[in-house]
Amino acid sequence: MNTHVEEAQADRYTRLAGCLERARGGDREALREVVVELNPTLWHVARAAGLPPDEAEDVVQATWLALLRHLDGIRSPQSLTGWLVSTTRHGAWRARQRLHGRPAGDPDALVELEDPAPGPVDQVLTDQRDRVLLRHFAELPERCRRLLRIVATVHRPDYTEVGEALLMPRGSIGPTRGRCLNKLRDLLLADAAWDPTWTN
Amino acid sequence: MDELTLLRLLAGALDRTDPPPAGLDDRVMFALEVDAVDTEMAWLEREVLTGSGARASEHSRTITFDSASLTVMISVVERADGRVRLDGWLAPPGPLRVELRVAARPDSAVHAGADGRFVFDNVPRGLAQLVVQPPSGPTVVTPALAL
Repeated sequence: MNTHVEEAQADRYTRLAGCLERARGGDREALREVVVELNPTLWHVARAAGLPPDEAEDVVQATWLALLRHLDGIRSPQSLTGWLVSTTRHGAWRARQRLHGRPAGDPDALVELEDPAPGPVDQVLTDQRDRVLLRHFAELPERCRRLLRIVATVHRPDYTEVGEALLMPRGSIGPTRGRCLNKLRDLLLADAAWDPTWTN
Repeated sequence: MDELTLLRLLAGALDRTDPPPAGLDDRVMFALEVDAVDTEMAWLEREVLTGSGARASEHSRTITFDSASLTVMISVVERADGRVRLDGWLAPPGPLRVELRVAARPDSAVHAGADGRFVFDNVPRGLAQLVVQPPSGPTVVTPALAL
């Protein structure tokens, strides 16, 4: 990890710690900053658990409501993120029990893209690349898709948080991530629709 | 194709195709303004649209929320003036206080009848949330939803 990334992480940590402290004192703007910062993480945790968008959103709302009851006991940004991720994962699991009997709503089955509308050349290329990439992403085992979705989309993921979200021991995340990415790479390189220059 | 490149491409593809919904931050902040700490979420159980088609003046949707202690069902009917009328039922029935929170407006509250029925007949469209106080236990809140 390079120094820039470490500095950015330290800055983020300090900023979140300040917001958390002010939010505990009732500062709405500080609370909003925490919500804006961590909502994408929670969204992807809920989606990675297999929830359709509406249910994923309700679970995220319920997680924040539950936080109001626990704010006093949460002292650091790390424990805040861990608590939120863990609560979202529990909520998503219970939501899946409630949805039992309804279509499971595999999030990766929903990312089928429509044919690209005519647009700027860059846009068409991006759409093509996304479509091929996500088609093969959808072929990966569920465990891989959950892990990669979180590792890829969560802002500089902390492996403790990721492990919390996936119920995986921290030490196995790196190797699993490597295996899953290798699988995805093999699928892409074997597909004539994948243009290797897209990664340049 | 190294790992970081692949992850970067995947992050871009997922951000473009499955971003957090627009307005999620606002809905969360709205839901967090509820004036109760000990809350229990009533989950959206079913939503049924009726009245579409010939009689466009009678569009309505029926939404059922379930919590451990209470079921809240509401029927939302569009009024001629563009506002909505909200008819609700609580189960088990009881004369409980039902509060309707609407974004950027004062909250309003009614008491359900002994049969569990309640009405808000003149509600502006927008983000809304129902808050019901059972005789004991946590306050039941619905997710913030767009009326």
